[in-house]
Amino acid sequence: MAFLDNSGDIILDAVLTDVGRERLAKGDGSFKITQFALGDEEIDYSLYDPEHANGSAYYDLNILQLPVLEALTDNAAGLKTKLITVSNNNLLYLPLIQLNEVFGGDQTARHGDGVFAIAVDETTEKKFTPGTHLVDYGENINQSAKYIRLDQGLDTTTLSPSMALPGDLTETQYIVEVDHRFCELYSSDCQERASISFIDDDNIATYYLSLGANSKFVFENNVTAASVATQVVDGPRGTIFQFKLKASLELNDSTSLFTELGNVKTLTDIGGTSTYYYIDSYIRVMGATTGYRVDVPVRFVKLKAD
Amino acid sequence: MATVYKNFLSSDVVNTRTLLHEAIPVTGSLVSGTYGPSDVALGSEPHIKTYSHGMFESVYDYPFLSSSANHIFDITCGYAGTSALSGASNTQNSKKISIYNQMAQVLMGYDHTGTIRLFDQDGDITSGTKMKECYFMNFSRLLVKDEIKKGTFALELGVVPAFTETGDCLAKRIKLTDSSGSNGYFVNSPAGEYGILFAQTTDDGDATLSTAQLHEETITSQVSIATSHKAAGLIFYQAGIAVISGSVFNANDTHDGLLDNAVDTLILGGKTAGNHGFDTITGSTVAVMANGLRNRVYDLQFDNTTELNSAIHFCRVNHNEFNYSANPTYLNGSKIRVKGNNRKNLPVSYITSVGLYSADRELLAVAKLSEPLKKDPTTELTLKVRLDY
Repeated sequence: MAFLDNSGDIILDAVLTDVGRERLAKGDGSFKITQFALGDEEIDYSLYDPEHANGSAYYDLNILQLPVLEALTDNAAGLKTKLITVSNNNLLYLPLIQLNEVFGGDQTARHGDGVFAIAVDETTEKKFTPGTHLVDYGENINQSAKYIRLDQGLDTTTLSPSMALPGDLTETQYIVEVDHRFCELYSSDCQERASISFIDDDNIATYYLSLGANSKFVFENNVTAASVATQVVDGPRGTIFQFKLKASLELNDSTSLFTELGNVKTLTDIGGTSTYYYIDSYIRVMGATTGYRVDVPVRFVKLKAD
Repeated sequence: MATVYKNFLSSDVVNTRTLLHEAIPVTGSLVSGTYGPSDVALGSEPHIKTYSHGMFESVYDYPFLSSSANHIFDITCGYAGTSALSGASNTQNSKKISIYNQMAQVLMGYDHTGTIRLFDQDGDITSGTKMKECYFMNFSRLLVKDEIKKGTFALELGVVPAFTETGDCLAKRIKLTDSSGSNGYFVNSPAGEYGILFAQTTDDGDATLSTAQLHEETITSQVSIATSHKAAGLIFYQAGIAVISGSVFNANDTHDGLLDNAVDTLILGGKTAGNHGFDTITGSTVAVMANGLRNRVYDLQFDNTTELNSAIHFCRVNHNEFNYSANPTYLNGSKIRVKGNNRKNLPVSYITSVGLYSADRELLAVAKLSEPLKKDPTTELTLKVRLDY
């Protein structure tokens, strides 16, 4: 009788992220590892072939041959996609989070350039009509009805939206990461400013917004009718997360960040066209329950010359 | 409730300590020969850094103006104020006393009256022979790391009396080690543990080792007998400093040194410094003395030690955990690709990385697998993630 191969212990060497090193240096006890998550960002699941003619051993052959990259030490760049624990093994569908640009027509639509454009000061705001030019106001945010909305749920026509999304798949908390140099998060009615949980070494501010506690940001989607023009999730619907962006003082007062991080572009405005500084960034929205993540493209614009 | 994080239990984390050792071989040609041909003046070699204060000389493994150069050690020398060699008319007299005192106060400390202790030959600081004239080799932290591994230090020196830069002075050699004949190490130094360096002949210039180069040394069957090895210095393991007694370079009959009378006292201070062994120090600068030692180094080696403290986190992945993914490619619409069209098929995911998080879910550390690891409800895994400090 041969020995069993016990060489399969998987020992991994971890590297500290920049935030890990920063917290370790602080020495204030904030460096304390309490939990773990598993990631699979290198995996392209479209390579999985459950119909492979040679049988199940070949279903994931292409996936298992994928190379894996070394660890990134940027805390924001590590573990971009996570594995999920769900007790039910018989799920055929998982919820996702989608931008809803159709709910409010021009109010929720992106700019023609494919981004959510934000005018960072009043001078720039006066160059745009939000509903016409699809540019939101970043200084006088209550003067524009535009906002960004994301819907969560099962996007399938196989299941009726009248069915309730299972509780364990309903997103109850959204984690939002925003470059704090550029903007802050407000509720879509401009009445509530979201509280920042922490700002990391790269100036990325993290917000935790929950169903119930942040009712102006996160609420249930009660629309159960199918094929509604205002909905982007065709199946059972979960929660809605919506917000506005207020430009930072730094963008409002100065062009330094624009010249350092941005570029110049001609945009169509009230007077025809003008030249604008712009910075492209994104708002990262992640479901705390399901781990699903969406990067919302945003562009901050500032008038350079008429 | 779906979740993407799993908390560690207290039993999931264990702390370990590992000692890593690296062999550090420094050949003598690197110290003296490679960048120092005989047409370059001693001390002017591009890998030797001298200072206007003249207190020590630095040795690099490459011309030190290059960014590729690594500092490997410093050489200096000195004597106690009570040494017979001390004299007001000596070259750099006060500096040599200062260096000795500085090294002694750091490495040997003070007695109960606050007086600096002298370097002791046998580690018994209450009595015995004191080493009042010494060379000091201060090794770079880059090489030593946390400490020199005990029993691995070996410094081989050429003992042909005449001084040359061509390597001829290395034809006969002795070796100073902290292993052969060593009786362990001492802990009565404020700078950590130290051991005694013992001298032995390694080459008498013949094909067969038969002639002892050291006084009262016994060689039997071409082997220097350990019991005949004499103390020649100290090696401070944590400090990374070798203290070499000046007596190593002196003959026994005329200077009460370690060398056999037939070998005679060496020329140390350069081609024209005269035949005075370590006594050369009275009329030579520290730099000249350093060059003298450097050009007699045949070989130098030791193992360093790095103390690695690790926290091993056992990431226990149960059969019913982490079987689904939030990877956007996992879904086609909302349908799970790996299920085909059959909800009874088991979910499958592939692990490529492990993230360690704080309670407020900040990513503190990341570990990567070398290849994707399949996870489904029929498998359980324990991933041991090691974080070194």
